[in-house]
Amino acid sequence: MKTEYDIPEGLYYTKEHEWLKVENGKCRMGITDYAQKALHEVVFVDLPKRGTKVSRMEPLGTVESVKAVSDYFAPISGEIIEVNDVLSSKPDLVNKNPYEDGWIAIIKPASLEAEAKELMNSIKYSELLKSITKK
Amino acid sequence: MSLRTQLFDYHEKTSNLVDFAGFRMPLWYEGIVPECLAVRNNVGMFDISHMGRVFVSGLDAEKYLNHLGTNNVAALKPNHAQYTLICNNEGGIKDDLVILKLDGKEYLVICNAGNRQKDYAWLQENSKNYDVKLSNVSDEVAMISVQGPKAISTIQKLAEIDLSTMIRFDCKYARVKGQECILSRTGYTGEDGLEICVLNVSLSDPSRALNLWNDILDAGKESGIKPCGLGSRDVLRLEAGMSLYGNDITESTNPLEARLDFVVKFEKGDFIGKESILRKKDEGIKRRRVGLRITGQGIPRSQCNILRDGKVIGATTSGTYSPILNGGIAMGYVPTEYSNLREKINIEVHRKLLEAEVVGFPFYNPKLYGFKREQ
Repeated sequence: MKTEYDIPEGLYYTKEHEWLKVENGKCRMGITDYAQKALHEVVFVDLPKRGTKVSRMEPLGTVESVKAVSDYFAPISGEIIEVNDVLSSKPDLVNKNPYEDGWIAIIKPASLEAEAKELMNSIKYSELLKSITKK
Repeated sequence: MSLRTQLFDYHEKTSNLVDFAGFRMPLWYEGIVPECLAVRNNVGMFDISHMGRVFVSGLDAEKYLNHLGTNNVAALKPNHAQYTLICNNEGGIKDDLVILKLDGKEYLVICNAGNRQKDYAWLQENSKNYDVKLSNVSDEVAMISVQGPKAISTIQKLAEIDLSTMIRFDCKYARVKGQECILSRTGYTGEDGLEICVLNVSLSDPSRALNLWNDILDAGKESGIKPCGLGSRDVLRLEAGMSLYGNDITESTNPLEARLDFVVKFEKGDFIGKESILRKKDEGIKRRRVGLRITGQGIPRSQCNILRDGKVIGATTSGTYSPILNGGIAMGYVPTEYSNLREKINIEVHRKLLEAEVVGFPFYNPKLYGFKREQ
């Protein structure tokens, strides 16, 4: 079964398969289409707490399917200012729409400019996925 | 190189595969959750050909099997099956089995996939003083499990016998869509259903097994039948409170702490492991297998610490998300003093402490789900 992955342009990506979208200086984040397809049937999202200070690539919580559990990480350093509470009752939004309704948190970045250089754009991320799925 | 069952061609085209007990098996086709719900609400079907199957016949077959297993084979009527355990000399569980007593003096022993070689070696090793004939047909018999409230009506369309004459745990030779089979009204989901052995189907010419698989899919179409993988099989058996060999019961578990006393018949005479199990009974059972239900959020997994007042008192042996309960459930061992119903404990999952309580088996309400349901 060949699977295609949705990788929207204009977002930043991490090697751990999180996405980041800059909106008026704040950063919305979630897990990528590849990550949600790998997990399949997300049944629980362990959300971070508002007000938590996080460092880049620090584990924020877990996304769980029936069979698997996966950590997700902070793509950038900063403060959690919003979380998607809807995921508590509808965790499958992560499967249905990982880049929109399935977002996980909004981070107020501490040093976005410096850290953004460490992230991938959609072209680089799609190359990473190609190298992973070739195996 | 992974082993394949007779139905592998179907799985390869339609499912996500996983390695299990040396076999390349379907993990899920459509998804674990819809497959679980198909079995609980309608009907689902599983390839269980990976399990081991050994015919036992001969004058001493009953005496021999009674010496090997903990349950009483002498109490078994023809065309009926029983759940039993085989133990080592120390009383540890070597495997859990279903034994079918067929017409005459012939038995069919069904064992776990991962124990095929171990069990057959044990059966042979202990057969020396008995007039028995063993025939390992694991690779010549395919096996399909059809489970759920609409399982019987689905198979009735294909079977050449009246299935309403079979009660739970009855078994029988019968033709299904013209093919010679052994049916047993058993399963590993808690639901009503049938396990169908399709006889004389070799791995090199599996077409008759594939045909029957597709015939059952067609017959169940109007009932919403779904092919189901090992992912849903594991969730369903855990919801029903059934042990998985290798996880919940092992050679270092004794039947009493595993709460399987209902198949240990001390009064029937001697059997392998009896003295050790009796000794453990006299010493007092120190830990017990319990059901654990997460009362808040989170999903427990196997091999998680179980804590009480911050102190580790045991570990889980299975854990998952239950779609019908919409929450986390687990099985594990705790000291006897903490094994009472509604006892509050914690389970450590992924650096977090989840709140849970001890519950009985099955996890679901038996009036709403399972073979005793009232509807």
